[in-house]
Amino acid sequence: MRNPINSLKNMSYERRKGFYGYGFLILWFVGAILFLIIPIAESFYYSFFDVAPEVGYMKISPIMRADGTVNYFKNFTDAFGVDPYFRQLLVDALRNMAIKLPVIVVFSLFVAIVINQKFRGRTFARAIFFMPVIIATGPVYAIITGDLSTSGNSSAEQFSTMFEADMVDQLLEFIGIYGFGTQFTELLTTLTSDILNLVWNCGIQIIIFLSALQGIPVSAKEVGQIEGATGWEFFWKVTLPYVSPMILVNIVYTAIDSFIDPTNEVMARILAIQSDWRYGMASAMAWSYCGIVLIALGIIFAIMNKFIWYENE
Amino acid sequence: MAGTSIKNTLADVFAGIRMYLPETEPRVKEKHFTRAELRERYHKRLSLLPKKERRALQVKHYAAYAWPILRALIVIGLCFIILYPLIFMISTAFRTRADMNDPTILWIPKNFTFQNVRDVVRTMDYWNTFRTTTFLNIGCSIVQVLSCALTGYGFARFKFKGQKILFFIVILQILVPPQILTLPQFKFFRYFGPGGAINLINSPLTMYLPAISANGIRAGLFIFLFRQAFKGLPKELEDAAYLDGCSPLKTFVQVMIPNATSVFLTVFLFSIVWYWNDYYVSTTFFTNNATMALKLKNLAPSLEQIIFGGTVSASPRELIVWLEAGCLVAILPILILYVALQKYFTEGIARSGLTGM
Repeated sequence: MRNPINSLKNMSYERRKGFYGYGFLILWFVGAILFLIIPIAESFYYSFFDVAPEVGYMKISPIMRADGTVNYFKNFTDAFGVDPYFRQLLVDALRNMAIKLPVIVVFSLFVAIVINQKFRGRTFARAIFFMPVIIATGPVYAIITGDLSTSGNSSAEQFSTMFEADMVDQLLEFIGIYGFGTQFTELLTTLTSDILNLVWNCGIQIIIFLSALQGIPVSAKEVGQIEGATGWEFFWKVTLPYVSPMILVNIVYTAIDSFIDPTNEVMARILAIQSDWRYGMASAMAWSYCGIVLIALGIIFAIMNKFIWYENE
Repeated sequence: MAGTSIKNTLADVFAGIRMYLPETEPRVKEKHFTRAELRERYHKRLSLLPKKERRALQVKHYAAYAWPILRALIVIGLCFIILYPLIFMISTAFRTRADMNDPTILWIPKNFTFQNVRDVVRTMDYWNTFRTTTFLNIGCSIVQVLSCALTGYGFARFKFKGQKILFFIVILQILVPPQILTLPQFKFFRYFGPGGAINLINSPLTMYLPAISANGIRAGLFIFLFRQAFKGLPKELEDAAYLDGCSPLKTFVQVMIPNATSVFLTVFLFSIVWYWNDYYVSTTFFTNNATMALKLKNLAPSLEQIIFGGTVSASPRELIVWLEAGCLVAILPILILYVALQKYFTEGIARSGLTGM
């Protein structure tokens, strides 16, 4: 009979080390199976069935068509076709995300560049810029944003008057462009009235960009100086390539973070359905939302990957 | 005699010292220019340059003056926007409800009062809530940090079969929104153990079990951070320990942890903050638990019961006074923590090498 401890000792050093690797992961692995993999599989399974809670167990019954065959996709079709809010909320959420993603990326890159420079009070400014990170995930944020809009001196409206959308229209009319579509002005109002949300949701992204900026090697900066690059050229030729991988990271992070945003209305709808005991429908909605966002991210990833410059290659 | 010899020796000593000092340049008194003269020289030298270069220099010259001013404006403006809700919070928390309806009051209340804060502290049962939340937070955070560190180390330093698949699970942990998993997890806790005999709902284990197994709130992100941090440490550290006959676990505890304390602190702080802010897990699995976030979320209905005696006697606008006071007392501990340890919140993430993906 072979002694298991002996056989462990007879392994090559590399294999033995690999074996210890499993040892380090075992705790997490058990947790991941229990709290992640099984729940994912279950909720995926639920999304095809009619799920109703009974005493002591979940009653899972297939949804029948009139002719007696099983309709597995009833939940999905109902989510988009029958539910009065879901489709509209989803479209709104995706549109907002499409607008927000580039704005957040550009804005946080800009802020990161600014607070990476040396000036008096930089530590203080940094502390303030990151402060939303510790508050924005909780109910405090929901109360803050809710309160600000119910009280008269709503911040959002106050700020947006500075960039009144009508002014842009008037300006364009002055130049000679009439009726410049409501689309553009709408987009502009979404952005400006959302500036509070914008700066409050950029904390982590700014940190990520800041760390990327600090990772730019000194040699690259020196080459720029010796060659006499202007700040503008330096940005496009040195800064942007170096931070480009982090642009992708930030896009993914922003999209994922919006799932757990307490003000996310799609998620609120899903939770409402869930508390209405319609679990099958709720999981179908959650999966289609998650799936659409992940597919969109995948497309962005594939396109962006071509323009990203990796230093090690 | 003696006097001169001392003088001579001193001179020798000074000469000796001077030999080792860097030679100072003989000081030439610089010509002092007046502003007008300087300007004249500048323009004279500028006029010698070709036109294109002159333009570029001029632009650079003005930009060097304009940019700091513009930067200051941008930074101050954005800081104001970020601080706006906090300023609003402080401004409203200490005013009477009548002040909310007074259109002449924007920032500074006419009637300064501590009554709202006192009311809210009573409604939220603040000190008990604070104690339970803190204990739960610190407990969960400690076990979560340890388990995530173990996992991150396992991914960073060991090569084994299926590593890519396992790491994909970590990515999944980051990607999948927790709402999707609520119901199965609820079922798991409700019918826990063999035969589903044990009901874990409303027990602190619903918070502790995921935390112990590195699956708590945002654990995927923490595992990722730890992996990056451990990858950044030099390999020689552990090789030395292995040569001395240390087991991997002992190496981890005695060599790696002391070298990564700042990451540990960062993850610990973020874990505390996110547990503090969480009301999602607490509302689903742990409903009778009095955490700060939960109390804050239910502040409006419980205010009606406790302060107004079951009747709604404040308009939504007047209610803001109490809500903001509640927000203030709820985030105050976290804010203090942030101000005191701000360095570890920001630099920890920046330094742990997210960039080295």
